[in-house]
Amino acid sequence: MSQQEESQQEAGAPPDGAPKGGLRSDQLSGGLLLLLACYIGWLNRSFPVGSLADPGPGYVPMLLAIALGLFGLLTAVFGIKSQPLSAIPWPEGRRAVVILAVAALAAFALERVGYRITVIAMLIFFMGVVERKPPLVVALVSVGFSLASFYVVGELLNVPLPRGPWEF
Amino acid sequence: MLETLNSLMHGFSVAFQPQILMYAFAGCIIGTLVGMMPGLGPLAGISLLLPATFGLNPIIAIVLLAGVYYGAMYGGSTTSILMRIPGEAASVMTCVDGYAMTQNGRAGPALAIAAIGSFFAGTVGVIGLMLLAPTLASFALRFGPPEYTALLLMGLFVLAYMSGGSMLKTLAMATLGLLCGMIGIDAMSGYTRFSFDIVELGDGVGIVPVAVGLFGISEILLSAGQAEPPKVQQPSLRQLIPSREDLRLSMGPIGRGSLLGFMIGIIPGSAHIISSFVSYGIERRLSKHPERFGNGAIEGVAGPESANNAAATGAFVPMLALGIPTSPVTAVMIAAIMVHGISPGPTLIQEQPELFWGFVASMYVGNLVLLVLNLPMVGIFVNLLRIPYAYLYPCILAFCILGCYSVSNSMVDVWIMLVMGGVGYLLRKFGYDLAPVALGLVLGPMLELSLRQSLALSGGHYSIFLERPIAVTMFVLALILLLFALKPLIFKPKTGEKDWRSSVGLDEVS
Repeated sequence: MSQQEESQQEAGAPPDGAPKGGLRSDQLSGGLLLLLACYIGWLNRSFPVGSLADPGPGYVPMLLAIALGLFGLLTAVFGIKSQPLSAIPWPEGRRAVVILAVAALAAFALERVGYRITVIAMLIFFMGVVERKPPLVVALVSVGFSLASFYVVGELLNVPLPRGPWEF
Repeated sequence: MLETLNSLMHGFSVAFQPQILMYAFAGCIIGTLVGMMPGLGPLAGISLLLPATFGLNPIIAIVLLAGVYYGAMYGGSTTSILMRIPGEAASVMTCVDGYAMTQNGRAGPALAIAAIGSFFAGTVGVIGLMLLAPTLASFALRFGPPEYTALLLMGLFVLAYMSGGSMLKTLAMATLGLLCGMIGIDAMSGYTRFSFDIVELGDGVGIVPVAVGLFGISEILLSAGQAEPPKVQQPSLRQLIPSREDLRLSMGPIGRGSLLGFMIGIIPGSAHIISSFVSYGIERRLSKHPERFGNGAIEGVAGPESANNAAATGAFVPMLALGIPTSPVTAVMIAAIMVHGISPGPTLIQEQPELFWGFVASMYVGNLVLLVLNLPMVGIFVNLLRIPYAYLYPCILAFCILGCYSVSNSMVDVWIMLVMGGVGYLLRKFGYDLAPVALGLVLGPMLELSLRQSLALSGGHYSIFLERPIAVTMFVLALILLLFALKPLIFKPKTGEKDWRSSVGLDEVS
């Protein structure tokens, strides 16, 4: 990054080439916090708020939702000088989504097919498919890690880990 | 004083039991390895190891986890010095001069001074803990719900004031954490709140899945696609010996860093991070040759390293004496003790003297282990840094899933971890500090309960907070801190005038 670009970013100005006058990062994040606060406030309507002297179960959540909304609003308002949304780099974004999606799939499979098979499949996918590492090493690391961690946590520390329909 | 020494002797008799020594030793080694791994800081390391401590006795459990904690702090400094990769946020300042020293061929003295500074600071911290915690605990016996309400509120405002980055964002994150703490059955009315008909959420959201998700998973997502590891210097044993000049230059920063770190550690927030930044700022200001900083000044390693280790120990004072976590790490530690049916708080030292004094003594032992073990073994430990990240992150991810599932054998915890991982990733991309979320989650239910208990005691009169001198003092302090926190938002700083956070570089941390 050049010195000029650095000083531009410090001042909140978009770098050359980035669209000017677009949405700022703090405006978006502050707005989302405000929306979340509204959602929590809406959920909170089913709990009695009580009174100032005798607060009910909905009292503190309501106060917190108001505070979150306020902080979100202020973040968005003061966020006019934050960096433009387009200036946030996402070089790892695609891979991060893949990692999160596969981890979610593994979580879904864990109790259905068992710990060892799930972990072996997950590690093979990450190391073999995503990272394209040598198949033999991938197989050894995946099977070795899965069996060793199952032995240590499941057998030695007596934590009941899911075994799946094949008791594996 | 004599009573304290007797208690400490009793603590040593506990700490020197072979089994406890072995676990302290294991904790330090595991912690060092965890601290060196990208994506696994002290918090994620402790959270993941938590289920493994359920079957242990509470003294061993806390000794093991404390060993992991300061082992990880030390491990983080090794990667900062050798590779310019801070294993955790507190080591960011060590990167600056530590790595510059490595580039100048002086990695050995940098590592040695970091270890000596950590040892000294750890010892100062333990002495402080030993002297301060019992006094604070006996004072805290006077605390009722109004005092706890005031204390917790003050803690949250200190957190907002001391945190690096935007104050509004910190407050927003603390509020988000407090809201997460509202999930589950309300202790006063029995209402189940925000559980979305998921039975497991009736007990609330656990700190472990939230901490592992926010800090562990988000780090994996941020580091995805990382290049192959760079070459690592492996200093020999002889190169580790610092010169007399190195020791002379480091003595002052180590002493100042230790005292400063311990004091900052007691107050809530990301204390160990803040303390290392403040210490670096002070050393630079005090130096006759500030231009050396950034180019391999050993004081720039000695000060921050001592400060972050002393702060790590200081954080145990409110945890053990008041039962209040001041950092996400101590929040997980409290969970570890509570699993065994022990509630940390003012009565802990009286009711569980073996636990408290055994823990204090084991920290002495742990510090010594770190010094005599980690330094000579640094050559072996750095081999871990040679493992390509492509093999490392899938295994860390599997560990995270395994660790969260093991806490209560619940898939809901795994889902919470993944959701928090995604949320944490986005929040970090947008420059939010995540520590307040974890802290708010733990403090939320405590704050609500103490507030409502206070009002129940007074028949709904808020005057109860003004009738109790301790509560009033803390409320006034909280108010002053709030005003200080809001000052930069209301009054624009004059051109060229810097906030104290930016002057020590804290605004760069988030």
